[in-house]
Amino acid sequence: MTLQLLFDALSLGGIYAIAALGIALIFGVMKLVNFAHGQFIAFAVFALIVPSTDAVAVMGLGAAPALVLVPAILAVGAGLAVASEYLVFRPLRNASPVALMVASFALGVVIQNGLLVAYGGRPKAISLWPELGKPVALLGAEVPMLQIIVIVSVLVVLALLAVMLKRSRIGLEMRAAAEDFGMARLLGVRANAVIAGAFALSGALAATVALVLVAQTGVADVRMGGQIMLVAFIATVVGGMGSLPGAVAAGFALGAASVALQAALPIEARPFRDAFLYGLVILVLLLRPQGLFAAASAKPRV
Amino acid sequence: MMSKLGVFDLSVRYGKLTAVNDISFSVAEGERVFISGPNGAGKSSLLAAIAGEVRAAHGRIEMDGDILSGRVPEAIARRGLSMVPEGRRIFRALTVQENLMVGVGLRRDKTAVPDDLEAIYAAFPILGTRRHANAGALSGGQQQMLAIGRALMTNPKLMLVDEPSLGLAPRVVDEVYDRLCSLQAQRGLTLVIVEQSSARAGRVGGRMLLLRGGRIVADGDATAFAADDLLKEAYFGEATP
Repeated sequence: MTLQLLFDALSLGGIYAIAALGIALIFGVMKLVNFAHGQFIAFAVFALIVPSTDAVAVMGLGAAPALVLVPAILAVGAGLAVASEYLVFRPLRNASPVALMVASFALGVVIQNGLLVAYGGRPKAISLWPELGKPVALLGAEVPMLQIIVIVSVLVVLALLAVMLKRSRIGLEMRAAAEDFGMARLLGVRANAVIAGAFALSGALAATVALVLVAQTGVADVRMGGQIMLVAFIATVVGGMGSLPGAVAAGFALGAASVALQAALPIEARPFRDAFLYGLVILVLLLRPQGLFAAASAKPRV
Repeated sequence: MMSKLGVFDLSVRYGKLTAVNDISFSVAEGERVFISGPNGAGKSSLLAAIAGEVRAAHGRIEMDGDILSGRVPEAIARRGLSMVPEGRRIFRALTVQENLMVGVGLRRDKTAVPDDLEAIYAAFPILGTRRHANAGALSGGQQQMLAIGRALMTNPKLMLVDEPSLGLAPRVVDEVYDRLCSLQAQRGLTLVIVEQSSARAGRVGGRMLLLRGGRIVADGDATAFAADDLLKEAYFGEATP
């Protein structure tokens, strides 16, 4: 029972952490809160199926073997994010942070309506990797195979990202740019390359969340990115805007708190779980307004 | 000799305020030029315009005959100009070595990077000792040395240094200038240094441009300027002892 809770907390927290990272990465280099991130997730979900407004979903890319499907969906997410940067955010590079934020809302609305036109508004049942739903016995508990895969994938993604940021050229440039973009440019760091790189990574992270959501819920819904975007945004605030370790830690903390409340609250209070969760968030922010991990810098953008 | 840096009729404005007003000068290859003058004379704005951080309202900037004005900072850096900015602006969350490596991406001679890194550590041994420490933990003087080393790692031909003595103890300033001058001699660098203290510039030696109200009011030998109390009084309003 408690072991099952632990797995629930890890898998839910892991999804929140990956989504929060996608937001924190872009905020780090551009001081932009990208509210279209939820729609990036939804777009990657729908990329799995053939566009049509029929109630029954026909797998397109989703029918491909995992070895093709996973990299292809990550590329779709990255491609959408890079295209968004090029078409929407680059022309606004010198606009105020508020203008950028509003533009990201607008972008989200455009993507969502594009999906509505192509796929219709009704949620569709899709089954991705149904064989992963089978439970396996682990340390005396029955755990769905999928949950183990989710937890392992989340840890692998986090490790890869950490290595990339710590060891690669573009990772070093991103970290320098997150702290003082103007100084990085004086040292020859190309602003366009760093920003496009951050968007590509963020889009790939959105696609990762999309795959996990579809595999877990078996549904494609135009609105499915919105809820997770909200939680992920809260995680980046609680973690300290722009702090990547903070976003990850807060994502896991929110997931764990959510699962713990679900288990600990009396039955009649459970429908109000989120109210308790966000109450906790307010408490944390009252005690630490700068977030759990203060970011290295909040200097203006380029 | 061909001039390394040419500035022609340069003006920089912030709204209605004119920070740099129609300045022209040129710097020869290998020269050391101090830019001095009172607060608000336009010294830092001049450097920021040359490096591409602020856009010139008017005028032209050339390096080796190549036009810099209108280009973005990273494009100017790639032409061999490097900046040690006011306030040092080191990346505090990065290690000392990571700070030094940020500017290496623009270099074509990547194979020379490890040797250059060792050369920086030889010039500033404290940076070598603390290479894996967070740069934010360094003292002010060490951060200044890191900012200089970081600029040198881009392998520049022309280096702009903004107020290297700001906030440092006089003994540390001596050390910073000693290293700067010997590095210049080793590498044949051209240096343009903003230095508020004309006395300091006079002791180090070189050419001096005196700025006031966004204009060049004097151009000559730094040591001669520093010795000339009348001139100092005229331009800085300093009391003569």
